[in-house]
Amino acid sequence: MLASPDKAPVLEMHHISKRFDATQALDDVSLTLYPGEVHALLGENGAGKSTLIKIMTGIHQPDAGEIVLDGQPVQIANAMQAQRLGIAAIYQEPMIFPDLSVAENIFIGHAERTPFVNWGRIVREAEAILGRLDVKLDVRMPARGLTLAAQQAVEIAKAISLQVRVLIMDEPTASLSAHEVEQLFRLVDALRRQGVAILFISHRLDEVFAIADRVTVFRDGRWISTRLRSEVTPEGAIRDMVGREIGDFFAKTPAAQRGESLLSVRGLSKRGVFSDISFDVHRGEVLGFAGLVGARRTDVGLALFGIEPADSGEIVFEGRPCTIRSPEQAMRLGIAYVSEDRRQLGLSLPQSITANITLPLLRRYAAAFGLLDFKAEEQTAERYKQQLAIRAPNVQVEVGKLSGGNQQKVMLAKWLNTAPKLLILDEPTRGIDVGAKAEVHHIINALAQQGIGIIMISSDLPEVLGMSDRVLVMREGRQMGVFDRAQATQERIMAAAIGGAIPDSPAPRADGEGMA
Amino acid sequence: MKAITRAIRPEQLREITLAALIVVVVLFFSSQIQGYFSGRTFNRVTASVAIIAVVAVGQTLVVLTRNIDLSVGSIVGFSAYFVGTQLANDNTLSPAFAIALAIGLGALMGAINGALVAYGRVPAIIVTLGTLAIYRTILVDMSGAKTVVVDALPQWLKDLPRTNLIQIGELDIRLMFGLAVFVVLVFQLVLVYLRFGRRLYAIGSNPEAARNAGLPTQRIVFSAFVLCGALAGLAGFMFLARFGTITVVAGQGMELQSVAAVVVGGVNIFGGSGSMIGAFLGATLIDLLEQSLIRWLRVSEFWRDALLGLLILLAVASDAVILNRLRRIWAQDGVSVQGKPVE
Repeated sequence: MLASPDKAPVLEMHHISKRFDATQALDDVSLTLYPGEVHALLGENGAGKSTLIKIMTGIHQPDAGEIVLDGQPVQIANAMQAQRLGIAAIYQEPMIFPDLSVAENIFIGHAERTPFVNWGRIVREAEAILGRLDVKLDVRMPARGLTLAAQQAVEIAKAISLQVRVLIMDEPTASLSAHEVEQLFRLVDALRRQGVAILFISHRLDEVFAIADRVTVFRDGRWISTRLRSEVTPEGAIRDMVGREIGDFFAKTPAAQRGESLLSVRGLSKRGVFSDISFDVHRGEVLGFAGLVGARRTDVGLALFGIEPADSGEIVFEGRPCTIRSPEQAMRLGIAYVSEDRRQLGLSLPQSITANITLPLLRRYAAAFGLLDFKAEEQTAERYKQQLAIRAPNVQVEVGKLSGGNQQKVMLAKWLNTAPKLLILDEPTRGIDVGAKAEVHHIINALAQQGIGIIMISSDLPEVLGMSDRVLVMREGRQMGVFDRAQATQERIMAAAIGGAIPDSPAPRADGEGMA
Repeated sequence: MKAITRAIRPEQLREITLAALIVVVVLFFSSQIQGYFSGRTFNRVTASVAIIAVVAVGQTLVVLTRNIDLSVGSIVGFSAYFVGTQLANDNTLSPAFAIALAIGLGALMGAINGALVAYGRVPAIIVTLGTLAIYRTILVDMSGAKTVVVDALPQWLKDLPRTNLIQIGELDIRLMFGLAVFVVLVFQLVLVYLRFGRRLYAIGSNPEAARNAGLPTQRIVFSAFVLCGALAGLAGFMFLARFGTITVVAGQGMELQSVAAVVVGGVNIFGGSGSMIGAFLGATLIDLLEQSLIRWLRVSEFWRDALLGLLILLAVASDAVILNRLRRIWAQDGVSVQGKPVE
């Protein structure tokens, strides 16, 4: 079953690098795939897995490096070419055409010699392929309404029909039930026996160890290790994934003393999204929310702010039980939410800094006859511009013209202006440069010292560890634990986020041990 | 019930319903208007449907890809006027040349739309709203506000609208109507049996997945616009043949008529589903109502447009609501219409 070294590799990626603006997404990584192997690729969010997939499928071009297929160097210019070369990808959300029949979905990308569709043949072959996979579907019916698992089966059938040699599966199990995962694994096994090379990406370590032949770990865009499954332990894999040092760049001032409880949440649930979330936030405290993408941390934030209210559970704010059904209600209580997506949810890009900051509280700036008092608005904006060091020539500048970091500060200003008691920050430093990041961290510290309770959702593990007084870890909608600052280590949090065994006590930091 | 649900799919019910509605409308007006049920009514309706149906076929191609072409009315007018002028100047031009010229002109204008939408990445509604005005302005400028008159046209063209294909009892099937039906059938076959047709559905159904599947989406969208323009050009020739007298406002409003026909005919305005037969039936129903209401003195001229508007709203609303209901009824009968596992 294991890829024997005597077999020639199907696909080799040599010294691939890729840069997006300020981010080095991939830095000199190499990966080799053999026919008939399931090769797991592990890494934290932002480790470069997605970028590598996009290069393999022709969506991105590498800045440097070489791709070798069957011993021949190739260029993968676009999706069509990747398909011709026999490389296909299946994503967490399958890409189906709801209006086309199952059979058509399987054969849509095919290059046929004639321009005619041979319906009889398509239906027959689709049935044959699904039959071989032991999947029972009526191939003549539209794909609309298929379950995710069935959609994935269709995608796998599509890959088989294209005689794919390399199949990339990007978190295919993320939305599947345990039973469906089992079915999927049977399909994967069938593919492996047919000699397909499978690159399997998953955050669930148990799955990786159940199915993979070899395991490669990426971290921060770099290759860390590639080992046979028999030579890897879950602990070792986690160490490789997180093993970096935290600089002293997070100048956290720990909460001098924990203030009184500000928000108390018990058993908060939303069907199919998250369940049984319980925690407290005290005045002047930063509660970090850690977890992997898809852990549903943002959904908890949205529920607390009333955008997507929870179904059940108790919320006590400042000692009073309350239900939060809308953002207006949340704002009246003194809750502010700085969203993850600055562009779509947070800011009005074509409008000025001033207009953005005063938007939630325009009533306050209305003078006689409801006309807006521009002067008062500008004063507010100027004050925040200085306080938060927003770098812009003046407050009339369009927000869309600012850098990411400064946009983030405008967002913060907008919500600080509502004088919140509880501030929910969702990925406050995603996509902004290192300098601006430090400034934002500084602001968060200062706000906590003023007695504001802060919930900070972040996928940046060092940030969570560096900034939080306590860390709540979520995994697939469930609360995996709350760690005090003293107990929170990268290994323990990662283990909780992935669902591995949590090391007992603060384990010694893996100081570059994993650096292969 | 089960027998019905097994025999047909909810999507096909749409077309059957339309056909039934057309029969109901005909029966209703026959009871209301003296001498309505006659060969003359049939000719009047088919002569007008023939033109709009050809435009609607092109519009369907574009709408299937999640786009829209609002410039078709201007293309019809342009092609009718330009070809009319050529024929008036030189009566010896061959019919084949005239038709090819009309189609070629339309295709050229469609290609401009398509290039801007597919390769320029400008939203179709903006591109074609712009070219709607531009094509019309060029026509007005070129014409110097002169009119093509019937008398100047060659005899074969004047005879064309009255040329019969076949006669069934009292009903004359005119050549032009036959041509329109032929166009509808050909493109229906294209949608079902050509890869090009299936790819139109795929792009409208899930554009991102279409790109990921390696389909040449830009080229396909471009082709849809070229074909739509070409068909509008052909409709322009038919317009010229039918009316003879062509002013600079010829074809105005056809963009909306064609969109209405397509939507009433069950083509999803967000792309991905619909058929040529449906669009043809939609065009027929709208035209039939329009022609009948004119003769039905109980409804004032002003209310006529409102009634047609109501019909369009009903069609769109029913698309979302009724189809889902139907799918549920079908599902209750245990017939899988959504590709659920049939274990």
